[in-house]
Amino acid sequence: MEIAWYIFAFIVFPGFVFTSIVGLLSSWVDRKVTARVQWRVGPPLLQPFYDFVKLLGKETLIPSSGARLLFLAAPIFGFVAVTLVSTILWLANLAQVSFVGDLIVVVYLLVVPSLAIMIGGMASGNPLASIGASREMKLILAYELPFLICLATVILKSNSSISLVAIAENHVFNSVSGVVAGVVVLFCVQAKLGFTPFDVAEAETEIMSGPFIEYSGVSLGVFKLTQAMMLFTLPVFLITVFLGGIHLVGWGILWAILKYVAILVLIIVIKNTNPRVRIDQAVKFFWFYLTPIAVAAFVLAVLGRIFAVPWL
Amino acid sequence: MFVNLLLIPVLLPLAVGLFTFILPKKDRWFRAILTLVTSIVAFASAIWIYIEKSLELRFSLLAIGNFTLSFDLAPTPLSSFILIFATGFGLLISLYSLGYITGRNRVREYYAFFLFALGGSSGVLLADHFLVFLIFWEVVTVSLYFLVTVGGAESKAGASKTFAMLGGGDGCLLLGIGIVWFLNGSFTISNLNIPFGGVLPVIAFILMMIGAITKAGSMPFHSWIPAASEAAPASVMALLPASLDKLLGIYLLIMLTTRIFVLTSGLGLLLMIIGAVTILAAVMMAMVQHDLPKLLSYHAVSQVGYMLLGIGTMNPIGIAGGLFHMLNNSIYKNCLFLCAGAVERKTGTNDLSELGGLVKVMPITFIACLVSALAISGVPPFNGFVSKWLVYQGVLETGMKASFIFLVAAMFGSALTLASFIKVIYSVFLGTRTQKTAKVKKDVGFGMALPMIVLALLSLGFGIYYRFPLNFFVYPGAGVQAVIPGIWNSTWATGLIILGLAVGFIIYLLGKYRKSARVVDPFIGGEKLEQETGRVIGTHFYDTIKEMPVLKGTYTAQGKGHLDPYTWIGGLGLGITGFLKRIHNGLLSWYLSWSLLGILILIVLFTLLK
Repeated sequence: MEIAWYIFAFIVFPGFVFTSIVGLLSSWVDRKVTARVQWRVGPPLLQPFYDFVKLLGKETLIPSSGARLLFLAAPIFGFVAVTLVSTILWLANLAQVSFVGDLIVVVYLLVVPSLAIMIGGMASGNPLASIGASREMKLILAYELPFLICLATVILKSNSSISLVAIAENHVFNSVSGVVAGVVVLFCVQAKLGFTPFDVAEAETEIMSGPFIEYSGVSLGVFKLTQAMMLFTLPVFLITVFLGGIHLVGWGILWAILKYVAILVLIIVIKNTNPRVRIDQAVKFFWFYLTPIAVAAFVLAVLGRIFAVPWL
Repeated sequence: MFVNLLLIPVLLPLAVGLFTFILPKKDRWFRAILTLVTSIVAFASAIWIYIEKSLELRFSLLAIGNFTLSFDLAPTPLSSFILIFATGFGLLISLYSLGYITGRNRVREYYAFFLFALGGSSGVLLADHFLVFLIFWEVVTVSLYFLVTVGGAESKAGASKTFAMLGGGDGCLLLGIGIVWFLNGSFTISNLNIPFGGVLPVIAFILMMIGAITKAGSMPFHSWIPAASEAAPASVMALLPASLDKLLGIYLLIMLTTRIFVLTSGLGLLLMIIGAVTILAAVMMAMVQHDLPKLLSYHAVSQVGYMLLGIGTMNPIGIAGGLFHMLNNSIYKNCLFLCAGAVERKTGTNDLSELGGLVKVMPITFIACLVSALAISGVPPFNGFVSKWLVYQGVLETGMKASFIFLVAAMFGSALTLASFIKVIYSVFLGTRTQKTAKVKKDVGFGMALPMIVLALLSLGFGIYYRFPLNFFVYPGAGVQAVIPGIWNSTWATGLIILGLAVGFIIYLLGKYRKSARVVDPFIGGEKLEQETGRVIGTHFYDTIKEMPVLKGTYTAQGKGHLDPYTWIGGLGLGITGFLKRIHNGLLSWYLSWSLLGILILIVLFTLLK
């Protein structure tokens, strides 16, 4: 019985089916808001679904320079990781199912979609894809440092607990350090999503989508689906860790949707109002601007702990 | 039984090693097979020792008052499980050597010292007398020196550096043992239990710790590993710095922290600081290397940091994590060096900028390398993730505010490790073929492939079924009960991952992939891809990072050797010898006046002391 339950959770709700549907809807929100910012009308609600289905029906091209099997398998790795993350996050939020250290598992698994993009790009044997992959890796190095420091702040605020349920019970955002850390993590999420100003790895106008340049048909579809799922999963991660989690009971439903839409729109607005930075600018931004801020938040949290001031 | 079981893994390799050393040069297969058979016997006896548990061999050789020398062998749960892995790695590498080392120069020395190193390691692990321990410890050091020199003329500098640094560490260990004997009056390891009171135990601990971490290759005494890697055969790097030296160094360290001394938290913190610095600094160095074995050797340094971090926490979870990480690290690092050896054997080069595109012709090596690379980067569900995760929990368990700094350092170290291995995977196996790699037609033979496959499978298996190594080896070895609360359900997660892969596969089937997958030329804006000029060289991946402020200066200083204690102590030694050289000017009157001065000082000292 337990097996069936786990499989249901993974495949249907809150795993694959649920995450991909909400993810594709979120990507519609992204496209619609972007269109409105640019004074366009924007696509209909189901456009992301049409796009995905259409990609399934397209021909798959495989570059002669690449490693065929790895090239085709790479999109699936990222897809599996994001499904697993989403399942873990939602089970922690809804069913209070948690295990010690699931925060660390989630942090590690969240790197895997980027890893899949890099491996796929490198396996294509295309030099532009290689450049994109190397930028993606440098971007990971850049944002991972402030990201981890902010998580340390969160863990400190939650009495050294590394389980998502315990962290979600703590409203980390109700303190100065929590707000600062949350804002820093929002930038990291922007980079994790590969959204402007941190879309250096894809850089359509410069290296023609970088790692995705050789992808077509189903494999590109799986990548696009993974990105849509990330667009849903990462804000949920933010809500769980900083904003007290999700409670789908009574007013909690409205509250959860409000939190999610607020974060989503914030990310989209940042995306649409900024130019793309160079990779060295991105690394400098994360290491020399955001990291000190993250450290400051951590120090505030430590001071708050020492002098027993909960709002610090 | 006519021979004590404990003697087999120790004396058999030493005896056979001596035998192969005096064997005529021509007989090359016999030598290799003999080594393989010896390793098999040693491995089998190690398993037997583990099963038998309470074995002991005490054979007194000499006793002068308090000073005793006796050939005592007594396995503990810790040493008998490490022995299984030490001899197991010996077995795999002797199999690998069949294909790798054959046809090289100095095969005679290679096999002889290979066996000496194996026997010496078994001796270290089983010894219950500190002097016997030290003798076998030295056997391993000396064997490593000779094994590195098998690499040919270029390996001389690296071998000397290795020997000098390890010798220095061993000297510290000897001093520490002396102090312990002075304090406790006994050399028997199982009898020792020294509480910290006064200065001497602290000095003894620090001296012996230096010996242990030099062997394991932690900062600041790490620089022998990269130096040795420059020209040593890959199988030697895989056997000693990647596996046996780690096992022995960490074995000694765990004995020091858990059994011989009663540690104070200050010294634990010192270990944790060394560990965190080692993780970050070594992996930053690894990222910018161009030479594959050298890059791997910096990772061999960096991974020690996690073990020190775990052991330094001094709580059961942390120590178990450190010990498990030692085991995991020797598995995947061994595999990575073997992969590097396979690539070098096939292409004749170690330079990352000359490699590329090997995935099509060397698929087995590629998969083994990819699995190990993911394992060392701590990607779930491989073994590196589980042990790192135990270490993180141990770090948080200490409850110190500083523990968060260690946590961030360790986790960021993982990201840097991943970055470094992305570069390796790309430069060696992906990307486009180069002149050197274009001539490779097929993967390495069975003898070289099998050890890599076994090690890669172990990495995966220990990641999924981590309960098995933890319950059978790590918990009894660390002397802790199964205290780890709510560990992640790796079997379930793996099941779900496989399920997810199946879903992905179904999506592919839903799509048009089956009917039409067309192979086309890569698209680079309409240009034609030239093999040599159109290549993105992986060694340039992290030039952006190298150019960052602060880091740039550090890299330059490191490149000049300013941050290496070997250079400092070497400079000091040169200064002293330079001074002595100047004194030796050949004038008799000078020598006479020096002697007179010496006699005067002696007389003054004697009168004062009387």
